[in-house]
Amino acid sequence: MDHAAAQPTLNQLRQTLAGIDPSHAPRLAGVERLVDIAAPVDAVLGGGLACGALHEFAPSAPVHLAATSGFATALAARASGDRKQILWILTDYAAGEGGGPYGPGLDLFGMALERLLILRVAKPVDVLWAMEEALRCRAVACVIAELTSDGSAADLTATRRLALAAREGVSAQISGFGLLVRHKATVMPSAASTRWEIAAAPSRPDVYGGLGRVRFDLSLHKNRRGPSGRWIIEWDHHERAFQQAVPVAVASPAFNRPDRAPWVRAG
Amino acid sequence: MGIADARAMYPSLPVVDADPEADLRFLETVADWCDRYTPLVGLDAPDGLLLDVTGCAHLFGGEAALLRDLVARLVQQGLRARAAVADTVGAAWAVARYGKAGIVPRGETGASILSLPIAALRVDTETVAGLKTAGLTCIADLTERPRAPFAARFGKTLLLRLDQALGQADEPIMPRMPVPAAMAEQRFPEPIAREADVIGTVEHLGHQLVPVLERRGEGGRLFQIALFRADGAVHRLEIGTGSPLRDPARIGKLFKERLAVLGDVCDPGFGYDMVRLSALVTERMDPAQTGLAGPDHAEELAHLIDRLGARFGLIRVTRPVPQDTHIPEFAVLNVPAHAPRPASAALPPVAQDTLSTVRPLRLLVRPEPVDAVAQVPDGPPVRFSWRQVMHQVARAEGPERIAMEWWRDDRGKKLTRDYFRVESDVGARMWVYREGLYDREIERPEVLRWYLHGLFA
Repeated sequence: MDHAAAQPTLNQLRQTLAGIDPSHAPRLAGVERLVDIAAPVDAVLGGGLACGALHEFAPSAPVHLAATSGFATALAARASGDRKQILWILTDYAAGEGGGPYGPGLDLFGMALERLLILRVAKPVDVLWAMEEALRCRAVACVIAELTSDGSAADLTATRRLALAAREGVSAQISGFGLLVRHKATVMPSAASTRWEIAAAPSRPDVYGGLGRVRFDLSLHKNRRGPSGRWIIEWDHHERAFQQAVPVAVASPAFNRPDRAPWVRAG
Repeated sequence: MGIADARAMYPSLPVVDADPEADLRFLETVADWCDRYTPLVGLDAPDGLLLDVTGCAHLFGGEAALLRDLVARLVQQGLRARAAVADTVGAAWAVARYGKAGIVPRGETGASILSLPIAALRVDTETVAGLKTAGLTCIADLTERPRAPFAARFGKTLLLRLDQALGQADEPIMPRMPVPAAMAEQRFPEPIAREADVIGTVEHLGHQLVPVLERRGEGGRLFQIALFRADGAVHRLEIGTGSPLRDPARIGKLFKERLAVLGDVCDPGFGYDMVRLSALVTERMDPAQTGLAGPDHAEELAHLIDRLGARFGLIRVTRPVPQDTHIPEFAVLNVPAHAPRPASAALPPVAQDTLSTVRPLRLLVRPEPVDAVAQVPDGPPVRFSWRQVMHQVARAEGPERIAMEWWRDDRGKKLTRDYFRVESDVGARMWVYREGLYDREIERPEVLRWYLHGLFA
């Protein structure tokens, strides 16, 4: 069967599937709210990360936990464009392990402090319960929930509940945007729309040799609506926008430049 | 009689040590149970309870019926009780203990206690003995004589007690619990045990409570349900709300969360035969005009915060509020989200001359020591190991020198910190600092200590 002839069959199968599970329904352009990232990533996602869905993030190595939560923060900052709230849920153990979300840093990173609510709970199941409640609430633009280790509490059933709750939370503005941050990547099945593995990437130093803009090495492992992929993107916290990263070390900086010491920037 | 004498007569006599604390606890549970008759229950340790039944008696069919019901129920529970209803606390106390327990009719307070012994006046044994040597044994002996000599000989207490018993001096009952601003209750002939029934009842009671609050223009900030178990135990659950509330459905929902998280603490056992919903704290609440344009997000958010608070405790839902200090760990304070937002909630501007953010995204609960190697004592680390992992520093910015606040008490004890933002060879960014200024606060470079305080994205 050639490609064109297969198309009606494919469409029919998609419709049958949509009847069984509404989350597979073909999207209507302009109706769905999307949080865009950068052009090449959006192309794969069909315009951006969908609201009313669950997205999962995990660091590719323990050292990249901060980068993972940073990517989630950046997405949340982009999502809460209007005066809506962001809820960050984590267990006491997660805060002890990787540090708690730090207000001034989040503020500089682009997430306005007055929009942030932090919920600390005792157990991972409580994280899931609170996330489900918050996803249904239309006053909350984005819910970030953290699960320590591989987050075995969030199995297929639990993530399915979260995905459905996120679907219910959809409104005319951005809401029901669930970001589940696992402290460790897992092979467990999940009902999330997308699954990402995040790592920090070496930044391109500024002209003085200081730290450049923060860079994320994104690996999209699961994508319900398209292929997976891997990109390196940059976050501009002033503009609150992602940018495609210019490759590092195309031309390495000259070795002996006597005009300044490498560490001169203070403050 | 001593134990030895008693045992000589009955060798099999069981002896148990007195446990006043357990007795008091038991009295408290009985007092809890008595809450079903009136919200004003006072303890009269070690063995009595005072109930203010003013305005409550008609709910039980009059004072006599109330008294019968109370005593009968206590007897059913295996207690021996004597109860009396009188115009004054003192008279009821005297009649219950020394007289013919029952109801003292209105206006006959004096007549009913005059013939009782002086011990019925709640005075100490010395006073009783002293009066007895003078030949005075019953209360009537006191009322007939001039008062001044009694005051001179036995102090003011005796006469105060006499006046209180006769209703000539005021004596308030000290309630054990705060008296609620408004309450509604429901009794069941057959106890209920299912959680859904309890929640349904709470909602039903909410419908009775809300009009009361509405008339006063108030909403509840703190609600309590008291679940009276058939066997006498009483469970009390409280929920606080972020803003005044008078929506029965929402009250029911909040208690549902609370019950769900408590689980076994509220074991219904044989079921609850009475449920009471009370608004302990109320606040002014003006009716708000709902917008036509769309759903009100502020209210929805308040509701979410209440629900999360009911489940996890309101202090766990927090909002970071900037503080006026430059010490990183105190720069923000997580205050409960339902508290009013302070006016000056703005972060101090941070001079930023770098492409990275100058404050980390995650701050460790406390700075963790790292083993760092630096080229010079004042320079940034070249590599360091944190939690058993070695990090090679590819780039560093700093130092940002943060001195501790000299105007605090611990001046000179806390060392200045030099913070560096470092990026490892794999791109992970961290906030490390060196404690103490070399040559000024610390003499030898080998005792310089490094800490990791936060993680950047």
